Amino acid sequence: MIKKKITIKNSAGLHARPSAALVKLAGSFKSDFYIHMYGYRVNGKSILGVMTLAAEEGAELELELNGEDEKEAMSAIVELANNKFGMADE
Amino acid sequence: MSEDVIKGISTGEGIAIGKVFIYDKGKRKVYPTGISPKKVSANKKIFQDVCKKLSSELDELLEHLDKGSADIIESQKQIIIDPEIERKVFSVIEGELMSVEYAIYSTYCSFIERLEESGSELFKQRIIDLVDIRDRLIDLIKNDYSPKQNLKGRILIAKEVSPTELITLHEQGIEGLVVEKGGITSHASLIAQALAIPCIVNAKHALDVKAEGKAILDGREGFLMPNPSKNQIREYSQKLNKLRHKQKEAQQNLEKLSKTQSGTGFELLANIEFEEEIEYANRNKAAGVGLLRTESLLFNNYSTEEEQQQFYQNVLKGIEGEITVRLFDIGGDKLNARIPDEDNPFLGWRGIRMLLDEEKLLKSQIRALYKTEALYPGRIRILLPMISVVQEIEAVKLFIESVKNDLRNEGINIDRSIPLGIMIEVPSTALIADKLAKLVDFFSIGTNDLTQYTLAVDRGNERICSLYQQHHPAIWKLIKTTADAAHQHGIDISVCGELAGHVLGACGLIGMGIKKLSMASSNILPVKEELVSHTDDEFSKLAESFLCSTSSDEVLKAFEGWRSKRS
Repeated sequence: MIKKKITIKNSAGLHARPSAALVKLAGSFKSDFYIHMYGYRVNGKSILGVMTLAAEEGAELELELNGEDEKEAMSAIVELANNKFGMADE
Repeated sequence: MSEDVIKGISTGEGIAIGKVFIYDKGKRKVYPTGISPKKVSANKKIFQDVCKKLSSELDELLEHLDKGSADIIESQKQIIIDPEIERKVFSVIEGELMSVEYAIYSTYCSFIERLEESGSELFKQRIIDLVDIRDRLIDLIKNDYSPKQNLKGRILIAKEVSPTELITLHEQGIEGLVVEKGGITSHASLIAQALAIPCIVNAKHALDVKAEGKAILDGREGFLMPNPSKNQIREYSQKLNKLRHKQKEAQQNLEKLSKTQSGTGFELLANIEFEEEIEYANRNKAAGVGLLRTESLLFNNYSTEEEQQQFYQNVLKGIEGEITVRLFDIGGDKLNARIPDEDNPFLGWRGIRMLLDEEKLLKSQIRALYKTEALYPGRIRILLPMISVVQEIEAVKLFIESVKNDLRNEGINIDRSIPLGIMIEVPSTALIADKLAKLVDFFSIGTNDLTQYTLAVDRGNERICSLYQQHHPAIWKLIKTTADAAHQHGIDISVCGELAGHVLGACGLIGMGIKKLSMASSNILPVKEELVSHTDDEFSKLAESFLCSTSSDEVLKAFEGWRSKRS
């Protein structure tokens, strides 16, 4: 199992479309994926789970991956987050 | 008349006598229904099946979308396949031994509550999505796994009803319609007119009605009487018989030639959205289809090139004469799921504005139309919705040329150009109609939106719907300007808005020299009866008096005066 902290850079926060991008990417890996934020832990492959975090700009998320492809998954997800989840700046 | 009578605005004439059928979709609750442990796996399977079905429906839609709208559908898809939803649904089925409908309902409701509690503005649209997906899943289960209902002779009461739902319910036997929301141009009332069933809209608190036995719906007077006495039923049965007799007589009037007393010919065509309406258009002797709406192809996911061709061919096969196809006119009040929230949807990304951005969609439609035209030469015309500036016409023309080139390269025979026309529904186009007439083959005036944009009134807003005055003198002036421009440049002109289907409107339009009117099929007869009984001179005098008026009331008075002088 590996863990890593990231910060949300999207000015509009982690709303539906970036959440969808995150979940879609996570779903393409075999590893289990959980997100921790302010004491909550949600399934990172569930769009509703991710959305209920209502993570705003600047929010700190801890990513937890566990499985055979956890390393590849982590680097792909971190890259997506750094690219503001594929959203042009809003 | 008893006290519990429900009043509404009359939009479909006629009378229905029958038991009411409450169609309470918005508030429809799914009640907890237990299942036996043996049924657990069957119920789980149903959940997986309907999710797959809905998801593949969205996939089909995705193929035709550009990025902006595709993202929205993509997040809807993610919701459907959400593992947390599945886990929860399964635990309700398995752990609580509840039916799949209830498991879906309660699971979605709990997520909806959580999002609502988060209070974030960002999720408002997603809450709507969740409600929509929940209801669509439950509808799929009901449609695929429950027997069809027999609704013969029943009067439908609903908060609102979509065109497709109404047609399905009519096929199941519905003979009257009462809707709590909406005005006279809502889609439900247009379809009710085409199906020739009595209909009242804006009927407040209709869903609360308590009716044990038969109820009476009077579409002309605009009321529903839930608990009529025996005498009232007898009285209305007689009225209904008389009405049917009158309709038979009227049918004979339809056989008359379409000519004014001066011998000038005119054409009455049908506005059509669904294949099911063609039968009514033929029954009313429509001379063709003056407005073929194509949006429902998108609503129902029949939007591939082949599926579109099939639809256009079915219409061409079903009715004689010319078919004017309006390109996908989405936005505003329609198909909001695919369009991002806008502060002013009616002034927003809709009609041609959206099509020019959604090139795939536009391309598929132009291709389908040209391919169909090759089989039915000379019978199709293309109508562009929501044109507001000349650049849009130029852009579409270039686009069509490139599509035609593609088709030629594919070896498809394209000699002709399909006549290209524009909707005149934004005041700017009416005002420069003389310039635009040089660029297109025909004009079609859409009086519904023209009224909305000229009088700055939302036709769906119940509070101000009295301001929605289609026969306001300002509208007549814009129509006159447009008609003069068309005549001066020798291009074809028609009217496809509601105004053309009103007797007053049709008389005024003929008076301005517009001889092609397209309307809901059920309006053809009354319009025809009026148009065949006056001379051209009388019509133009009437039109002049409309143009000199200051208010809609004056127009109405002028019409009543004109009509009584005659008879």
